[in-house]
Amino acid sequence: MAKIVFQNVSLSYSIYDARSTSLRNALVKIGTGGLLEKSGTNSVSVKAIDNVSFEINKGDSVGLIGHNGSGKTTLLRTIAGIYTPISGKIIREGSISSIIELGAGMEGELTGYENIIRIALLMGLSKTLIISKIPEIEEFTELGDFLAMPARTYSAGMTMRLMFAVATCIKPNILIVDEMFATGDAAFQKKAYDRMNNLINDAEIFVFASHSEALIKKFCNRLFYLDHGLVTEKGVFS
Amino acid sequence: MLSHLKYVTQSIWSLLDTAWYFAWGDLKTRYKRSVLGPMWLVLGTAIGVVGLGYVWATLLNMDADEFVPLLTVGLVVWQLVSTCLTESSNVFYKNASVIRNLKVSFWLFPLQLLMKHFLYFLHNLTVVVVVFIIFNVPLSWVQLMAIPGLFIVLINMLWVIVFVGVFATRYRDIEAFLSSVMPLLFFLSPVLYKPSNLGIKSQLAWLNPFTYLITVIRDPLQGNLPPMFVYVVSLVMLFVGWVVTWRLFVRKQNRIVFWM
Repeated sequence: MAKIVFQNVSLSYSIYDARSTSLRNALVKIGTGGLLEKSGTNSVSVKAIDNVSFEINKGDSVGLIGHNGSGKTTLLRTIAGIYTPISGKIIREGSISSIIELGAGMEGELTGYENIIRIALLMGLSKTLIISKIPEIEEFTELGDFLAMPARTYSAGMTMRLMFAVATCIKPNILIVDEMFATGDAAFQKKAYDRMNNLINDAEIFVFASHSEALIKKFCNRLFYLDHGLVTEKGVFS
Repeated sequence: MLSHLKYVTQSIWSLLDTAWYFAWGDLKTRYKRSVLGPMWLVLGTAIGVVGLGYVWATLLNMDADEFVPLLTVGLVVWQLVSTCLTESSNVFYKNASVIRNLKVSFWLFPLQLLMKHFLYFLHNLTVVVVVFIIFNVPLSWVQLMAIPGLFIVLINMLWVIVFVGVFATRYRDIEAFLSSVMPLLFFLSPVLYKPSNLGIKSQLAWLNPFTYLITVIRDPLQGNLPPMFVYVVSLVMLFVGWVVTWRLFVRKQNRIVFWM
């Protein structure tokens, strides 16, 4: 049973530059009793998610749109549990797989096979389980002999195939994907589409951020619009 | 307290497999496409032992028979401890791409770092064995006490990695600071000598935490049981270090991702 509930969730974080990440400055701050705090630190606080509430239930497939920097990736990371909000409550039910940045966790010098195991372990799967899934991943990625080659030889599209195959080889209850289908070719997009539809049909949750309205229309039945950390639902379309 | 201990041991236990796989990956990656591969680790240590052994035995006017085994164990333990410390400043930073994109346990990367250096240490032990055979170091039961000594060092290093790792992610100067003091620390720590070689100034050496970490492994290997206070101080370090690190972990575990 997959479910994601956000109740008045806010997230802000400070961006530190070299001045405020230096120890000397922190020490000066202690030494001067915090007087320098205003003029001395150059950290900027960013309110990335502002009092957001929503509920995503099984079978929902949510598309996130918004301009660059509107907080799409931050929201995805918060849903995935990578970012912890400073206030509000998040309820998550079900296992989560996320593909947010291409190549995260991959090691260029190691082979595709070794990287499959790495990514799977990072996603919390067991080694025996992922080894039993390797034939299926071989078939889905169509990378053939390239799987025995170092991953640094892969193109963005090939990396995408590998990551997507691993992330979806065990049906997660919740799949979170950031904009990245653009790197796959038409054949891969078709395959990914079929697999995604299967996941959605199995009453799971899919959250997808994209700039492409066509892709969102294809995959999603709900639409969230993000602007400056605020989320508004733009109605359900079919 | 006990529940915290249980939590840490359980998280670490469940991560052992993954951390081990990643540590091996590091080893393979480092020596990929080199002909000798991880043999370089052993070779590097052996070259260090021969070079330093020759020069320093002459300089210190010591018997090679006595000096070279002392130096070898000292060097191998020093490498374990010092590389853990210097690399700890990057333990989270280096894995930023994973930490920002997948929900992974906080303990995975510190554990991976520790295991990587433990693997290097195991490789380096071959040099110790060879030196002990060449210089006829006698075998005794006391040498087995090096095993609990090694555990004390490893568990100490784990909190050091986490503690330094968290601070160095927030304050980037720490990395540069560590790499500039490590060469000095090498000479201030009893790697090339024993604390007793300092004569009446040997108390100075016992102010240095590294002295305890080296002694607790080296003394047993050379057939001497370390004095009781060495164990007491190492265990106090372990306890206090973990309590402080635990508090840091509770307060900052969720913020680290924003610092990268």
